[in-house]
Amino acid sequence: MTDQTSLDPVLLSVMANRLDGIVREMTNTLLRAARSAVISSARDFSCCLVTGEDELLAPAEGLPVHIFGCHIQTANMRRYHAGDIRRGDAYLDNDPYGGNTHPADHTFMVPVFYEGEHLFTSVAKCHMADIGNSIPSSYFVLARDVYHEGALVFPGVRIQRDFRNIEDIVRMCRARIRVPDQWYGDYLAGLGSARVAERRLEEFCAKYGVPTVKRFMRDWFDYSERRMIDNIRRMPKARLVNKGKSDPLEGILPGGLELTVKIEIDPDEAMIHVDLSDNPPCVDVGLNTSLGAATSAVVGAIFNALDKDLPRNAGSFRRLRFTYAEESVVAAPKFPHSCSVATTNVSERLVNITQSAFAQLGDGHGLSEGGTGLGAGMAVISGKDHRRADAPFVNRMMLSTNGGPSSPVADGWVNYAIPVIAGLMYRDSVEVDELKHPIRVNALELVQDSAGAGRHRGAPAQQIELTPTGNPVTAVISCDGQHAPPRGVVGGLAGTPGATWLVGDNGDAARLPNVVQITLQKGQTLRGRDSSGGGYGDPLTRDTARVLHDVLEGWESRDKARAIYGVIFTGGIEDETLAVDASATREERAKLMAARGS
Amino acid sequence: MTGYRISVDTGGTFTDIVVLDPQGELHIGKSLTTPERIFDGMAGALRVVAEDLGIELTRLLAGTDVLIYGTTRATNAVVTKRTAKTAFLTTKGFKDTLTLKEGGKHGPHDYSYDYPDPYIPRRRSFEVTERIGAEGEVVQALNEAEARQILATLKQRGFEAVAVSLLWSIANPAHELMIGKLIEEMLPGIPYTLSHQLVPILREYRRASATAIDASLKPLMQKHLREMAADLREAGFAGDLLVSTSVGGCQEVDELIARPIHTLKSGPAMAPVAGRAYAAVEKLGGNAIVCDTGGTTFDVGLVRDGSLVYTRDSWLGQRWLGDIIGTSTVDVRSIGAGGGSIAWLDAGGLLRVGPQSAGSVPGPACYGRGGEHPTVTDAALVLGYIDPDYFNGGRLKLDPEAAHRVIARLAHQLGRTADETAAAIMVIANELMIKAIGEITVNEGVNPRESVVVAGGGAAGFNIMPIARELGCATVILPRLASALSACGMQYSDIVFEATRSRFTDDRGFDLTGVNRALEEIEAELLSFRQGLKGADGAEARVELLVEARYRAQVWELDTFLPKGRIQNTADVAALAEAFHQTHERVYAVRDEGSPVELVNWKGRIAIRLFAPPPPPDFTARSYLPKADTKRPCFFTETGRAATPVYRGTMLKPGAQIAGPAIIEEPTTTIVVYPGLSASLSAAGNYILHCVSSQPATA
Repeated sequence: MTDQTSLDPVLLSVMANRLDGIVREMTNTLLRAARSAVISSARDFSCCLVTGEDELLAPAEGLPVHIFGCHIQTANMRRYHAGDIRRGDAYLDNDPYGGNTHPADHTFMVPVFYEGEHLFTSVAKCHMADIGNSIPSSYFVLARDVYHEGALVFPGVRIQRDFRNIEDIVRMCRARIRVPDQWYGDYLAGLGSARVAERRLEEFCAKYGVPTVKRFMRDWFDYSERRMIDNIRRMPKARLVNKGKSDPLEGILPGGLELTVKIEIDPDEAMIHVDLSDNPPCVDVGLNTSLGAATSAVVGAIFNALDKDLPRNAGSFRRLRFTYAEESVVAAPKFPHSCSVATTNVSERLVNITQSAFAQLGDGHGLSEGGTGLGAGMAVISGKDHRRADAPFVNRMMLSTNGGPSSPVADGWVNYAIPVIAGLMYRDSVEVDELKHPIRVNALELVQDSAGAGRHRGAPAQQIELTPTGNPVTAVISCDGQHAPPRGVVGGLAGTPGATWLVGDNGDAARLPNVVQITLQKGQTLRGRDSSGGGYGDPLTRDTARVLHDVLEGWESRDKARAIYGVIFTGGIEDETLAVDASATREERAKLMAARGS
Repeated sequence: MTGYRISVDTGGTFTDIVVLDPQGELHIGKSLTTPERIFDGMAGALRVVAEDLGIELTRLLAGTDVLIYGTTRATNAVVTKRTAKTAFLTTKGFKDTLTLKEGGKHGPHDYSYDYPDPYIPRRRSFEVTERIGAEGEVVQALNEAEARQILATLKQRGFEAVAVSLLWSIANPAHELMIGKLIEEMLPGIPYTLSHQLVPILREYRRASATAIDASLKPLMQKHLREMAADLREAGFAGDLLVSTSVGGCQEVDELIARPIHTLKSGPAMAPVAGRAYAAVEKLGGNAIVCDTGGTTFDVGLVRDGSLVYTRDSWLGQRWLGDIIGTSTVDVRSIGAGGGSIAWLDAGGLLRVGPQSAGSVPGPACYGRGGEHPTVTDAALVLGYIDPDYFNGGRLKLDPEAAHRVIARLAHQLGRTADETAAAIMVIANELMIKAIGEITVNEGVNPRESVVVAGGGAAGFNIMPIARELGCATVILPRLASALSACGMQYSDIVFEATRSRFTDDRGFDLTGVNRALEEIEAELLSFRQGLKGADGAEARVELLVEARYRAQVWELDTFLPKGRIQNTADVAALAEAFHQTHERVYAVRDEGSPVELVNWKGRIAIRLFAPPPPPDFTARSYLPKADTKRPCFFTETGRAATPVYRGTMLKPGAQIAGPAIIEEPTTTIVVYPGLSASLSAAGNYILHCVSSQPATA
């Protein structure tokens, strides 16, 4: 394992720590300097370092759906500009056919040189609030093809030389992107982040010298691979096949899409083989997933099922092998199909299908399914603000979110958002959103009895009601989580699906489709309920103290506690005397268990 | 000054006392904290100093003008969940504000922990029908009958405190004020907090959290501070009692009884105050990185251009998982790293340190209490940096055999010698601290290479030199009283008070009237505070005005100092915008003049100087080479194991020059001078550690 040229392991550890510090600095820079809420609040961005030979070296704690593909983008950058890449350059890429996730993710790449050698590329990937689509949203579910979608696409285009903007490109963007100042602010933040890394990496190389840095990269990949080998060797040998469905698309995909993930765990070879080839062909909407997005979703979900501190880089990825279809909605788009919503809808389902597949290995493995769908509380809203001389606005909110999945050891995370965000986002302040947009939030609360029950419970759903305060407000909702609810595993129950309603001024509520663009008039209210996470394990085995907690917090009712968890209480919530009746609970659980058998 | 000045820092484990005598000498006393009756531990530590001074405790207290009390009482009450039974009252539809928090999670692939509970449980949260809009308009009037009904329920259910935080109370406080009046009427004597009075800032979660925490602390802090005052009087103290706060200042007792939230994290906030004073005395510039190494935590704070650095993002417990304090506090980042951190080998063959800790029970193996895991303290003992008979001033005898046994076991797995392994543990433990320092300096745009490090805490001296060297900091100040850094800070602290108003505007359509009215109100509040202060007539006062500002559509604000006290015309607005551009450029390296600058919360801070900081010494110490007291075998990576000179700190005089490798032992701290580096004792009596070696730095 160790040979003569190996790095001192203490130095290996120190250098890895320094690189981690650099990607954290990139993340902080981007997060706090970014302009649009989709980056600074929803945290829809990621930073990483790739080697000069296009291997993912160090990802920051960013969105799991960005983890895979940057190395393909840097490789394309080197191929497109072979012989003409130098210090001071920066490149922009958002081509879903070239390793990128989807066109909304503008990826900034800075090649880092030391002593004339291209040793690293620093990469910052940010979801832009607008990218010049034909509709005022960077998520366009109904896009028939890339032309209908309308995004400006930059396949590894040089945007800086000698540290200065190539203004032609900036002007192109300004000419087509809505609220161009917001885009430019995010452009500065993304580029600033990649440049910060460049400065730090140059210092890193100066401190350790090129030979040591190269040895470090090799040894770090080897170390990461050893960790992965060790983890896979501790897993049972198995072939897992799991299927799942996406929501229907009215008039286009009435049955939704049936998705399949096949996983072969081979502890002898210490490999995990993922077969994504058994999936439907491309569709004439924006649901097609790019290679980068779909693979990231699956890789992220695999890491959800492994040791939590495994390094994620090209070294550990050596133990993963993928098979793709020739042409498919999953990871194999065919031009000119649109991948506009590649990182959400289908990718959300892929995360769920993959992480719950591991639960087939038995109790102690995998996760249940988490809540899916960008519902009303995460809608893109636009309009004209009557309070500011009808100034236009467009933004995605992050007010209410889905409930997270449960694991063998913990209940679901309340502020989960969607499987590809995995709880990393910040939620908006109601006051800030009311200040920025002419809307009022009437209520924002957790929904009692919504969670998927289990030994560990999925997180409950949330419900929001909002209304315009002046001019009409348009909401674009592209939610995939209102028909097929998140499923439980190992005996856990399913969560509850989301729903959207339009409430008229007379109080009547009408259900809206899951993908919808709606203009709210003053007096009308948009009501949205998100989905909840599925349960893990048999609810009758849930620790009664946890059930007590849930009833006290109002997450579950006493009725559900009795009917589903078999827990009987004495006393009351109001006077703080609520307590588990242990013997009655034992009887009730035995009764429920027996009733199941019959 | 005629009498003594005493500062007291009650930590979780130790109570530190620093006494300034009338001759200007500082004395230190330490004892175990007595949580049941804090005064007992305090008196114990005071007796140590009194003995040192050759007087009785009562005489010391009787001769004391000012006593500054730093308390962790509020923090402990929160941690042990022994705060008052508190009701949370909010706008209908928003009962879950404290549960939903602001999002954020650690580890995208980590599903091993539950979602945290709200600060006040839902069964103690109540919704009132009412609504104020974003412009301050009344969308729905307060339903008074319903409010009365709720308060009647609170009375019946025996609530001890009430937190009231309504949406947009900062734009129009009428409804909160009305509820306040109803509480006075229906629940007389029950303490309550109104959000717009405590923290008039935008963002409902932050305001609600601060309000809930504050209200829940009121009953117990009232009792505690009044008892403390009585205990001190009874023991003979007749001077002024001040209490230290989270803004790195101190306040009169009554002020903190009204707003006890400000006592949270006041201990750590005082370390940067000390750092600022030491950097000034040693004339080492305006930027300092202040590190405080305790038994289980490592705290880092900053001094930038001679000023403390503040944040509104300070949490009780872990960020996102705990509860946000919401008020502005001195920015001190804390990581779990210390002598108890456990070293282990992971499945890839890499040596790791932490995050698991042996804590104090069973503690490191060398404590001899059954600890079987190798820790950082065990490594320091194996390396010879600790004298097993003189640890913690000899209070705890260590077992070197046990340390050797556990380190040797790890060494065997690693295929290295015990010495090499112990040195590697130190290097990796240092990395955690280097990263923590890196984060705060980067976030605040401070260059470590242009800063001095001020190190404190009992364990600082073991590794601060290699840490500083790695960061490129040439100089470390390690005060002789380093182990009581926070208590030292209190000796140099001002009375600090903040007033805030929320007035949202931007530089394009600047609200001159509204902003100036807010500034007038802030200054009036500061003035009334100043006038209400006893015993500070003629004291120097500094007022700073700031605004929390951002570019349009940014989510997070930056503190920006107002160039002028009032904003009267477009030139003033432009100057303010420019001040923000400069701040943004310093922190994020970019400025965007094309974007409107949004101005959110306005803030005034008054600092009233009660005590002059110590004057720099009026002489230069003459250099000399002291003689080592003894030698003991120590291991350093560069030199291997060799007899290393050990100096008794109490025998050293200003001007002493010590070249590494060497060990300096002070009664409450130990300094390891690494090979190639050196230390000296300054005229002011601080150790100055020179961390740039003549040879190129090694990893």
